[in-house]
Amino acid sequence: MESRQFELCLEVLRRFNKEKLLDKIILIGSWCLFFYQYYFKKENVRFSAIKTRDIDFLVDRPSKIRGPVDVPELLKDLGFVVQFKGNKGYLKLDHPELILEFLVPEKGRGTDKPYPLPNLGMNAVPLRFISFLSQNTIQIKYQNIPIIMPHPANFALHKLIIFQRRIKKEKAEKDRKAAVDVLSALIECGESRSIIHAYNSVPEKWRKKIMKGLRESEANEIIALLS
Amino acid sequence: MKGVIKGVLAEELENSVRMKKSYEEALGKLPKGSLAIRKIRGHEYCYLAERVGGKVRYKYLGKLSGVERQKYVEATKIRAKYRKLLSQVKKQIKFLKGSLRGKQAI
Repeated sequence: MESRQFELCLEVLRRFNKEKLLDKIILIGSWCLFFYQYYFKKENVRFSAIKTRDIDFLVDRPSKIRGPVDVPELLKDLGFVVQFKGNKGYLKLDHPELILEFLVPEKGRGTDKPYPLPNLGMNAVPLRFISFLSQNTIQIKYQNIPIIMPHPANFALHKLIIFQRRIKKEKAEKDRKAAVDVLSALIECGESRSIIHAYNSVPEKWRKKIMKGLRESEANEIIALLS
Repeated sequence: MKGVIKGVLAEELENSVRMKKSYEEALGKLPKGSLAIRKIRGHEYCYLAERVGGKVRYKYLGKLSGVERQKYVEATKIRAKYRKLLSQVKKQIKFLKGSLRGKQAI
């Protein structure tokens, strides 16, 4: 991993922690794969290093964030610029090393409008299925920064659902691989029960999707575990 | 289908092109020039030093308060930062375009 990108990621997390934001937002997306290595605490657990510059944070609905923190202003001196994505007004913070975005679970029929986060001076993209990521979380401490992430089982099963909805085939392939890698690591570390527990917590429709994803991946060991 | 790596690179190229535009727009919004302070008979007067067609021109701003001065100083710092990052983005675009030129799926 490029050290410049990693240093910037840590600085963003440090600043969020200082503003007491980190206990109210969940780090999701491909950065989790990096930090999961500290969760598993096994030297041989390493996940694919292929990832984009996106760093995504999940905010629960309703948001627990109380005090106002102007995120664009907080990160301005690091070189982040506000970017409006698409014609609906979604906000992103762009930097050559990182692209920061907030996401919220989509509720009801769903909408294509951004969800306002006035306390952060940002808005968020509502996405289907991501409430599953906040249902079971873990916290790791990296350089004294407490980082909340989805439990690896929830992260992987979520990836197995969404890779089938991806339009870009390469991205789907990346998600599918990440899911199988994380599930295999959980089994290897004796955490099979957490996979079963996460699997049993989802509706039947989602389970079918997960199974379909596992069959496509030919992940027979995991299929046997969940059957 | 492109390979996974090429897919990621193509997405990164899209992002970098968008970012280049963002930095150019952000630079366009910042006030041009840098603050120059001249001390005349014990009083400090502020000027905005700006390069116009190879020559440096000084625009008189008057006696500015500390807060107003700080705004110009901050803008100069941010502009330098954005320029550096814009140059980084341009290099990324060049690199990514080059990497995607090959026909082989990776």
